[in-house]
Amino acid sequence: MPTVTIEGKAVAVAQESTILEAAQKAHVWIPTLCYHPTFSTLAACRICMVEIEGSAGRPGRLVTACNYPVRRDITVSVSSERAVRVRNGVMQLLLARAPESKELQELAARMGVRGTPYPKVTESQRNCILCGLCVSVCEEVIGVSAIGFAGRGVERAVAAPFRQASETCIACGACAAICPVGTIQVRIHTDTGEAEISPFKSRSKLLICEECGVHMVSVPVAQAMSDRVKIDWEEFRRLARLCPECRRKQAVKALGIGAAEGSVTPPEEIQVKN
Amino acid sequence: MVTAAVEKIIHTPKELDAYRDKLSEKGKQDTRVVRVCIGTGCAAKGSRRLYELFCEAAEQAGSSNGSKVVIESKHVGCHGLCELGPIVVIEPGEILYHSVEEPDVAEIFRETVLGGRVVERFLYEDPKTGNKVKTPAEIPFYNVQKRIVLQQNGKIDPTSIDDYIAVGGYSALAKALGSMEPQGVIDQVEKAGLRGRGGGGFPTARKWRSCRDGGWSSGDRSPNGREAEAPEGRTASRRGPDGRTPAGMRYVICNGDEGDPGAFMDRSLMEGNPHSVLEGMVIGAYAIGASQGYIYVRNEYPLAVEHLKQAMDQARKLGFLGEDILGSGFSFDIRINRGGGAFVCGESTALMASLEGRPGEPRAKYIHTVESGLNGQPTVLNNVETWANIPAIIGMGASEFAAIGTESSKGTKVFSLVGKITNTGLVEVPMGITLRRIIEEIGGGVKDGKAFKAVQTGGPSGGCIPAKYLDAAVDFDELIRLGSMMGSGGMIVMDEDTCMVNLAKYFLAFLKSESCGKCTPCREGIAQMLHILERISKGEGELEDLDRLETLAELLTEGSLCALGKTAANPILSTVKYFREEYEEHIKNQRCPAKECKGLFLYQIDPETCTGCGICRKNCPAEAITGERKKAHVIDQAICTKCNTCFEKCPFGAINKV
Amino acid sequence: MDKELVTQIIDRYEQDPGMLIPMMQDLQAEHGYLPAEQLREMAAELDIPLTRVYGVAMFYSSFRLAPRGAHEVTLCMGTVCYLKGAPRISEAICEEYGIEPGGTTADRLFTLQAVNCVGACALAPVMIVNGKYYDGVTPDSALDILKALPREEAKAGSDGRTPGVRATGRPAAGAPAAGAPSAGAVKGEGEGS
Repeated sequence: MPTVTIEGKAVAVAQESTILEAAQKAHVWIPTLCYHPTFSTLAACRICMVEIEGSAGRPGRLVTACNYPVRRDITVSVSSERAVRVRNGVMQLLLARAPESKELQELAARMGVRGTPYPKVTESQRNCILCGLCVSVCEEVIGVSAIGFAGRGVERAVAAPFRQASETCIACGACAAICPVGTIQVRIHTDTGEAEISPFKSRSKLLICEECGVHMVSVPVAQAMSDRVKIDWEEFRRLARLCPECRRKQAVKALGIGAAEGSVTPPEEIQVKN
Repeated sequence: MVTAAVEKIIHTPKELDAYRDKLSEKGKQDTRVVRVCIGTGCAAKGSRRLYELFCEAAEQAGSSNGSKVVIESKHVGCHGLCELGPIVVIEPGEILYHSVEEPDVAEIFRETVLGGRVVERFLYEDPKTGNKVKTPAEIPFYNVQKRIVLQQNGKIDPTSIDDYIAVGGYSALAKALGSMEPQGVIDQVEKAGLRGRGGGGFPTARKWRSCRDGGWSSGDRSPNGREAEAPEGRTASRRGPDGRTPAGMRYVICNGDEGDPGAFMDRSLMEGNPHSVLEGMVIGAYAIGASQGYIYVRNEYPLAVEHLKQAMDQARKLGFLGEDILGSGFSFDIRINRGGGAFVCGESTALMASLEGRPGEPRAKYIHTVESGLNGQPTVLNNVETWANIPAIIGMGASEFAAIGTESSKGTKVFSLVGKITNTGLVEVPMGITLRRIIEEIGGGVKDGKAFKAVQTGGPSGGCIPAKYLDAAVDFDELIRLGSMMGSGGMIVMDEDTCMVNLAKYFLAFLKSESCGKCTPCREGIAQMLHILERISKGEGELEDLDRLETLAELLTEGSLCALGKTAANPILSTVKYFREEYEEHIKNQRCPAKECKGLFLYQIDPETCTGCGICRKNCPAEAITGERKKAHVIDQAICTKCNTCFEKCPFGAINKV
Repeated sequence: MDKELVTQIIDRYEQDPGMLIPMMQDLQAEHGYLPAEQLREMAAELDIPLTRVYGVAMFYSSFRLAPRGAHEVTLCMGTVCYLKGAPRISEAICEEYGIEPGGTTADRLFTLQAVNCVGACALAPVMIVNGKYYDGVTPDSALDILKALPREEAKAGSDGRTPGVRATGRPAAGAPAAGAPSAGAVKGEGEGS
């Protein structure tokens, strides 16, 4: 097993592990944006660059920590002048591209980057940094590939085919959840009973809680859940038509606990003893 | 890949020899040949029509003289001297005629082909002596060159495999398959010192060896005769990552995506001698143990695709592609893919992504493509010119090849010499020749007697080299030392009227539109650099801009994912290095010394030359010109918008840029 | 639209999704552009996500999502042509016809394409109309050539033997449009999301 010495700490890692995995093992922080442990990594954002020290007087090599495979002993510097310069430069470029993202500014602050000397010269969809996490989650985890990359260079953007509302989107909101810069939002339209994934224009009807009428998950997601989760329980399906609050209340009622609306007082028999 | 089983004609090296002998019998008759160049440059000037006319003439003459004299009209690939096209060469005697037009065909045919007499006015005139010369050997453009790869370009009909075989084609393949082991082929290539001709200059043998060692296929025999085992860690699943490719399969790819503007070497090779590329690939595939090859041709080269397809069909028929080639037990075939229109697909991983039906986005090369390339399999990708060198190396032997060139760069290189040069065209020279010899002796010097300013090599990834380094030897390492690179071979000559800021801006704009957009430094960084250059060329530059450009250049070089981004800053870095004062003039004085950047120079009417015709005044959109008929006109600088209209319209050249 | 055609094309390449680009090139050769319906059809038959097909169509410069003009006009923007004034020719044409590089005139008379280097540098500046080369072009001579374009449907490309640039090419660098043409404008569809 090769050893990675990172910022002075030595850790042994499995063959073909990445430097990022070694860093995590050694509790050394490296900023990331487009990396996620669940998907194949594009190594596109370049914010995780570190320097592998050269051997025998040769200059070091800058590589992305998220996908560099460790095959032999190496010494890695996260705080070298070159590595810091590249990472900070990348952040400055991103701040220029996406000036309104609070999350990006927080990451910048954590990296010690104060503002950017660059003007905004590229258009982006509402702060999108093209990390591709939304595309990956939709394709690899949700499996519907509702959005993808389209265009080249500065025209590159995340979009649904033909810039129309996607036919396969199930409005699950995974893309919004994983977006690191707050570009993608789920908007609930109570007037039409729809969830909209902005900026991709896709809309889906929302299930309404049978009990209290509140909007819950999108219909396609509920459908997908009952398709994919192979539990043939009537009970499960019945519960799926209730919002979490109503579900909780019903469960409490079924357990025969507390009659007052909203109050949960466990009877003495099932009170937890300290 | 479906190829209908074809009845081969040649099954062994001996049969190839017999076939060749039969062809040379034909050539023993009294034969007159007219070779008409149909490379893109000459074709664009109508040479195909010339070819047709010569064919008609040959037919008529043939039917009237019985069969005593064989008269052939052939179309051939690019001779290289595109400036003087259309080019026609008559054999016997290798008489070269240039700038031939349709009305000339009858006279040339009557006088030279039938009568053996030379028609002076079509001969090349040596600009130094004023003498007319007959053959290419007497023309400096050609005799300073060393044409190994291009040797047959312009001599053989690229659509005829017989022509190729008659001049020795496929004998290198027969030698390799018949008398050499795969390792032996790699050893020869290593001894020859061949380095990649696509721009990277990576040692070819080393690439082949890594691939051979990295991949494996059932049927591989290890030295002890047992079937080779999969290297440790590699799963022995029956199919590779894409679910279709047998695991362990190796590929060879020919990169014909020649994207550098101003470069057309590979085009001429693919159009003019496609079999040389095929032969190289078969030899290489044998050396590496690959059974499938791809040629990826840029979409904008339809003639190259056509000629390659024809060549492949012919090669299959004769038995140089397909099963059990020349009885060696080695099977290999090729398929052609056209690019979709993306410069970045010249990058090896982007090209492979394209072959997999995806956008051409490069990926990290921490794991090399010789280990995991196309469809995740070990792959060797080489440039067209690299492949075309292989038959030459095997044919002439590694030592003879290595005797040409310099210590670090062996062999020759094909360059497209273009720009402000007298003889625009394609040249092949030994590595180590000086820039001066190429530009002055072969190129005939800068056009119109202007002063040489710089020569750009390596296209958008390269840099410019100023006059003080004209005596530098052209080889891989020297060009890098000078801040440029060999690149694929584009050599663009610039004169005193070229603005280096504008040139850098041109290359950056090109790269901006071709960047795949995946990684931050390249996508955002190039846009930022271009923004700065645009300000400078509009007279809105700031003193700090040069530092800003340097910082961005460093960021791009260190942070980009692929070579496009990593080298994108080279044009700026080299122009700032050698022509800093030009940038400073733009910034400090809002002036463009070369008078190219709109608004940064003035237009003035020369009162001596102006005839007062009034054309400029009538066409000026700003009404900035005043003057009476037949009297010298004047431009009011305060109103002039510097739109260039008067300069273009003046029939007397009386308007000067100052 | 012809479902048969898509199936034919896919069968030609043994339903191999790796051959998506040649398939799309064949489809475009039939229609002169890529109809959205048939792209959907292709994705469905190959069992690949539509986003991938759309992504490929949007990445490569030779793919068009909207019908083109009757005539193909190509301007070379290679280094030599550029230095010899090609941008001014492009400007003149764009201004006269109200289009941007890559665009088609409102009356679908012609589509203007800028490409990077056709390899005929000795003829710079080069303009190619329906496969026919014009050398040493100026803004005025270019406009004259275009004004003379016949209004009826032009013959598809050249006689096939002239090495022209047919319905292909990349948007050029330095093409002096008012702003960089957005992917939408170049490809012929609505603005981005």
